[in-house]
Amino acid sequence: MKTGIFICHCGHNIKHTIDVKKLSQYFKKYPNVTVSEDYPFVCSEPGQDMIRESIEKQGLDRVLIASCTPSLHGDLFKDLLKKSDLNPFLLRRVSIREHCSWVGDDLEINTEKARRLILAGLYSAAHYVPLEEKVVEVTKSALIVGGGVSGLSAAAFLSKMGMQVYLVEKEAELGGHVRALKNIWPARKDGKEIIDEMVAELAGRKNVEIFTSTTISAFEGFFGNYEVTLATPEGEKKMTAGGVIVAIGFAPFDPIVKPELNYGKDERIITTLEFEERADTLQLPENPRIAILHCVGSRDEQIGKPYCSRVCCINALRVGEAVKNKCKDSYVESFYMDVRAHPRGGEEYFEDTQEKGVLFTRANVAEITPTPAGLVIRGEDTLFGEFFEREFDLVVLSIGMSPPIDNKLMATLFKITLDKDKFFLEAHIKLRPFDTAVKGIFIAGSCSGPKDVEESINHGRASAVKLFGFLNLGYAFVDPFISSVDPKRCSGCRMCETACVAKAIKFDEAKRVVHVEEAACMGCGLCNSTCPSSAISLKGSIDMMIDDEISALTEAI
Amino acid sequence: MEEKTNKNPEIIGFACSFCTFKASEMAGSLRMKYPDGVKLVQVPCSSRVDPAFVIKAILEGADGAFVAGCHPGDCHFIKGNYYTRRKIAALKEMFDAFSMKDKLKLFWVSAAEARRFVEKVTGMYDEIKEKKNAGKKA
Repeated sequence: MKTGIFICHCGHNIKHTIDVKKLSQYFKKYPNVTVSEDYPFVCSEPGQDMIRESIEKQGLDRVLIASCTPSLHGDLFKDLLKKSDLNPFLLRRVSIREHCSWVGDDLEINTEKARRLILAGLYSAAHYVPLEEKVVEVTKSALIVGGGVSGLSAAAFLSKMGMQVYLVEKEAELGGHVRALKNIWPARKDGKEIIDEMVAELAGRKNVEIFTSTTISAFEGFFGNYEVTLATPEGEKKMTAGGVIVAIGFAPFDPIVKPELNYGKDERIITTLEFEERADTLQLPENPRIAILHCVGSRDEQIGKPYCSRVCCINALRVGEAVKNKCKDSYVESFYMDVRAHPRGGEEYFEDTQEKGVLFTRANVAEITPTPAGLVIRGEDTLFGEFFEREFDLVVLSIGMSPPIDNKLMATLFKITLDKDKFFLEAHIKLRPFDTAVKGIFIAGSCSGPKDVEESINHGRASAVKLFGFLNLGYAFVDPFISSVDPKRCSGCRMCETACVAKAIKFDEAKRVVHVEEAACMGCGLCNSTCPSSAISLKGSIDMMIDDEISALTEAI
Repeated sequence: MEEKTNKNPEIIGFACSFCTFKASEMAGSLRMKYPDGVKLVQVPCSSRVDPAFVIKAILEGADGAFVAGCHPGDCHFIKGNYYTRRKIAALKEMFDAFSMKDKLKLFWVSAAEARRFVEKVTGMYDEIKEKKNAGKKA
């Protein structure tokens, strides 16, 4: 066996707390190790060339790369092995950055931990065998869940590229929350106009099917051929989708959670969304006194919403501007924590609004008390450090974004993880911001965290591009990590058959042994750990690998 | 002669690649610190963990072992973690008979819960360390 060990410095990230030189020297003495090198950036072009050259010159049959976590650059190194005519499943990645150099500060301790981790990888890799990836055909169709701006923009892109698109919307009308918005900054267009434009684009296309007032009743299968069952008003509908984009948006924060604001008890206290609707019909005195409260349902640890909702400052500015435009002599006061006018041009917009006469007071509002004469706001001015009490005719709460109502249901259906704020979690915040842990399932729009209209449209389109890349190939590789049965050892006790969730294990009555239906096997390894006679093993994670890994980690070998 | 043993515990963790391993990656990326004695073995699903692995880890000198998977209902393989829960419960009974109950832990950590991962492993580590060094002179 000829193993090549390549230890990455990752610039200073690994080298800083792990003695990589010592490690590469140390592993040179191991009998099965042919090459042991350390390199500043193994993932770089020259780094890859070095590995390739070693494989070709030394005839390596195992490659161990000790660097970042296996999920990063996984495909990159796999491709590298493929290019060098080596089976990609003979690659072992050892995470010495996320699991070692970044979690400890002591050079000596970290070097020792890294040594053991690499050793475990080395012993485990000794049991690796070449595996063949299975190729499955991919249906060129996409299911898009949610007909808001991000869903619509994803649908527009995919259908333009010739994919069959199934757009599912829970409500009777497409457009989501954006439809209700007026004079959206910075485009200065009504939401309805934007939505109508997008819907019109889709309406002319034959490869788009839109289901409104529809929910998803069942979802199963694997990438390339997901089986979807929809509950439409006309009854149940079944279809096959190659991939999914989940764009279920957000739920507006409900200020009832904060009883001190008295929202819902007095009709003069409204949210920004209600203001959009009722702006023209509000009964106000001639020169109204209006208060705008920022950060309602955002940056508030007490109610479990520590995040910034990103859009509500601009919304608050829009309210102030709308009031000032309509009634120049009104008194408009904004109570803010910090004005975070996020998008490009937001800061200028903030200044414009100030120039129009909206007053900004940095304050913590403690309570709103409705009286017949007006709404009394009590709070603390955080710049002066003084308490204040002022009376207004109308209070507009600039509400933030809460996770969508269906988040848990959708997370279970599509196997998406929720983050700490209960939004959908992306596979990697920077490198894979549209992907989920499951292949072919993407997230778009504000269901993965607060986003404004522009960002949501971009996010939707970006997810669509990523999905298109997968679908357009027409085929996909499936990981060959499936179970196999050794019929000689199988005693026919059928324990695995009862345990298997995927129902991939079938009993052969004639031979009294079980066998695995490869297409159905999900690769969890439950049967492997259930089998009392060790007759089943999960490819890519066989008992011997894990046994040796444990031994190496505990220094028993 | 003074017995030469390591005062710091060694803990082997079996981490599901879909949740706990992801959480540990995130913990690393966020530069959260946890003891170096905690070392992970990546498994495709917590149900892949044969109780024999846990016993092997303990027999070969680990001071503790934990199995960590997705929260109930979140299993990528639908209900693998329910099987894990049963297996580990049975194994714990056995460990209890040998007064080693606290050497084994099972916990759920989702991919987003880096902090929870760190809290869990550090908690376990500290507990074991305290027991290990109890009665010993410093």
